[in-house]
Amino acid sequence: MNGIHDVGGEHGFGAVTTEANEPVFHGQWERDVFSVIGIYFAAGLCPLDEFRHSIEVMDPAEYLSTPYYVHWLRAAENLAFWNGLFTPEELQARIEEIEAHEKRESA
Amino acid sequence: MRLLQANEVYDAIRTPTNFTREETEPPRFTVGQEVVVRNLNPRGHTRLPRYAKGRVGVIERHHGCFVFPDTMAHGKGPHPQHLYNVRFTLTELFGDHDGNAADTVYIDMWESYLDPVTS
Repeated sequence: MNGIHDVGGEHGFGAVTTEANEPVFHGQWERDVFSVIGIYFAAGLCPLDEFRHSIEVMDPAEYLSTPYYVHWLRAAENLAFWNGLFTPEELQARIEEIEAHEKRESA
Repeated sequence: MRLLQANEVYDAIRTPTNFTREETEPPRFTVGQEVVVRNLNPRGHTRLPRYAKGRVGVIERHHGCFVFPDTMAHGKGPHPQHLYNVRFTLTELFGDHDGNAADTVYIDMWESYLDPVTS
């Protein structure tokens, strides 16, 4: 697909920035996302090319403005939808459930 | 989907996937041959970069037969094809550009991305 991922030859993105002493993960959530995709691969849920495509279909603005592991998070969600693990509605309901729980905890 | 037991996960992750396949058809192109990239715009996944469409390159290497990502990405099977490494000059890809005129780009391309250059 002619998607936002196909940036070869594009101008205007500036230099590639590098981080001194870059850690493998920047937070626990990145570890979690990495692990989930690892399990997906092992379980045959996402052949490599299906994994790539599940990132290509991201919202273009979000694709350009989010860190690497957000792309993997969207892959984990899209592959789950496509494989019938859960629906977008079920995911949203679970997010709201967790948010409500956290709100109660902090109240 | 495969159901994994906890003690199977580590081996399953570490086992590399083999993407090569036996050749059933002879390759359509030979090393050194000029090819033109087809102007394909599939709605689904492809490994064909936009900037190479319609450009002329030279077959640098024949890798053998590999599963086809454009079908694999959509659960439509491996449909193996010959895979080539194709050499393009930067001038062919980007015309009058800021870079060195001698610079080249090498792209791995499946056979169905390419047509022969007829002269």
